[in-house]
Amino acid sequence: MTGPGSSLRRLWRRAFLEERPSVGLAAFRPAVALTVGAHVLPSLFELQDNYLRGAFKAKNHWFFPQEILTLIEASPDWLVIGMASCFVLALASFALGLRTQRSAIAMTGGCYYFYALNAMHIGTLSFDILLVTLVLVCATEYPGDALSLDAVRRGDAAAHRHRRPFFVQRLLQLQLTWTFWYTALSKISAGGNWLTGQPFLSLMQYPPEGVVRAFPLRAWLGGQPQLCHWLGVALVAFEFVLPALWWIPRTRRIGIMLGVAFQLMLWGILHVPTIFLFMFPALMGLFVPPERIVSWIEDRRADAQAGARAVLVYDGACGFCRRQVRRLQAADLFGWVRAVDAATLDAPERLAPGLDAARCRRELVLIEPGGRVSGGFAALARLTRRLPLLWWAAPALALPGASWVGGRLYRAVAARRRRCGDAAGSCGTDQGACSSNA
Amino acid sequence: MQRMKNDVIRRRNILISAFVVVWTAVFQYETLRYKYLGPWLGRDLPKIRLLFPPAGWIMFYRIDPAYGMAEVYGVRPGGPPELLDPHAMFETRALGYDNIRRNVLVGVLTRDAAAPFCRYLHRKFPAYASFSVVYAEYPDLIGEPARVRRATAYRCEPGAP
Repeated sequence: MTGPGSSLRRLWRRAFLEERPSVGLAAFRPAVALTVGAHVLPSLFELQDNYLRGAFKAKNHWFFPQEILTLIEASPDWLVIGMASCFVLALASFALGLRTQRSAIAMTGGCYYFYALNAMHIGTLSFDILLVTLVLVCATEYPGDALSLDAVRRGDAAAHRHRRPFFVQRLLQLQLTWTFWYTALSKISAGGNWLTGQPFLSLMQYPPEGVVRAFPLRAWLGGQPQLCHWLGVALVAFEFVLPALWWIPRTRRIGIMLGVAFQLMLWGILHVPTIFLFMFPALMGLFVPPERIVSWIEDRRADAQAGARAVLVYDGACGFCRRQVRRLQAADLFGWVRAVDAATLDAPERLAPGLDAARCRRELVLIEPGGRVSGGFAALARLTRRLPLLWWAAPALALPGASWVGGRLYRAVAARRRRCGDAAGSCGTDQGACSSNA
Repeated sequence: MQRMKNDVIRRRNILISAFVVVWTAVFQYETLRYKYLGPWLGRDLPKIRLLFPPAGWIMFYRIDPAYGMAEVYGVRPGGPPELLDPHAMFETRALGYDNIRRNVLVGVLTRDAAAPFCRYLHRKFPAYASFSVVYAEYPDLIGEPARVRRATAYRCEPGAP
C-alpha cells in the first residue's frame, strides 16, 4: 500500500515509534539533575529566608491555581524541612539513576512544591522551561535504562544497547527547536522590537546593577548603534537557522558546536540562569544519534579487550558472589576488567606473584594491568575509581576510616556469603557446597 | 504468541501517538495563546495552569530603552537613609549567575508585597528603625543613560504590620 497516508504513517513511525537505543536519554539524565540541583539547591541553603515562617515569598499566580498556592502556603516548617530532605534524596537518586522514574517524579514534585512556596529565587522563566522538560523526563523509565544504578542492580552489562520507542527523545528535540524558533519569531512580531527598535543597544546601556555583565567590549558596543542594530538582526537570524542545522545530518556537528558556543556567549554577557549553561547544550546533545553513542562505547570496549585488562578473581561457586560480579560488570562501561572464576584458575600465581588459591577463595582479588594487587574491600575501593558507574562512591570510600569500617563489613559479609542464595535460583545447585561451607 | 506481541506493540504505539499529539497540541497552544491566538480570535484564551509557555515571547523578546528597579533604604534612629545592598537582603546565591542582577528585587514594589516585605526587613535588619522602598527608573537608557528618576513606593515604619 502506497500513497500520502502510508508515507505519513512511515514518517510518524520513524519519528516517534521506532525503537532506538535509549542511551542518549540516559546520558541526558545527569545534565537534568545538574540543572535542577543548580537551580533549586542554593535556595534551600537559606531555608529561613526563603521558605520557613518569616520568609519573604513571591507567588506565581499565573502559573499555579490559587487553591494550590493556599494549600502549599499552609505548610508548617517541619513539612518544609522534610520536603527539602526528600528533594535532596530524590535529586541524588535521579542523578545516579536509582529507581529512576520514581525519583524523577519525586524530584519534579519537589520542584513544583518549592516553586509554589516561593517563586522569588527559583522562578525564572528558564525554570518554567526546565519544568516542561522534567515532565517529559518523568513520563517513562527510559532515562534510567543505561548509565544508571538501575542497570547495575539488574546486572545488565549491555544496558547501553537497550532499545525503546524514540518519542521522548524526539519530543525533547522538538522542544528545543520550537524554543529557538518561537524566540526568534517573537522578537520580530507580536510586540517584539528586534527589527524596529534598539534592544541590543539598550542592553549595552543597562545600569551596572542590571542583567548585563561587564564584558570587555560592552562600553565600546554601547557607542555603536548601527552595529548593535545589525547584531540584533543577526542574532534573530541565527536563532532561526541554528535548529535547522541540528536536523540535517551533514550540518549537525557544526550546529551543535555553534549552539554550545552561543550558550556560552549568552552566559558570558548576561546573568542568564544555569539552564543556559547546563541544559540547552545537553538538549542539543540529544541530536547525536544514539546509535553513535552505542558504537562509541562498543569501540572503547573493543579497545580495552584488545589491550591489557584488569582481572577480577571471584568465588564462582557462590551465587551471591556471581550476582555481585555481574553487577560490577554492568558498572564497567568500557570493559576495563575481566572477571575470572577462582575455580577455573590452575595457577593463580601466574596472574600475580604470591597469589594463591586460598586467597582467591577468601576474598575478591583485583589484579590491575600495572601489576597492582588488591583484595576484599580494597579491591572494591579500587573498582569504584575505575568503573564509571561507581565513580560517585569513590570519594566516600577514600574518606579516613572508611577502609577500617569497610574492611570489617566486607569480611563479615564474605564469611556468610555462601548462605546468601542466588535470586535466580541457581544457588540450588550450590546448595550442597553452601551448606557444607556454612 | 507473535500475535499477542503484535497486539501489545499496537496498543503501545496508539498510546505513544496519543501522548505525542496531546503534548504537541498543549505545547503549541501555550506558546501561541497569549500573543498570537488570543489577538487573532479577539478574546483571552484560558491558560493551562502548571505549564508555562515554554517558548517565544517570554525570552527577551522586547527590550525598551527604559529600565526600572527597586532600591531599599534603611534609616537608623536620627540618621540619614542608607542604601541597602540587595545581596545582604536576599543571601541566596545562585550558581553561575547573580539573581539580584536579574532584577529579582523589582517584585517588592507591588502594594501586595509591602506588608510581608516590611516584616522581612525588620527581622533581617533590626538595627534600622524604618525603611523606604523606592522605585528607581532610567527613562531613556540610550538618550540619557545616567538620568534616574526615583519615587518612594512605600515606607516600612516601626511597629507597622
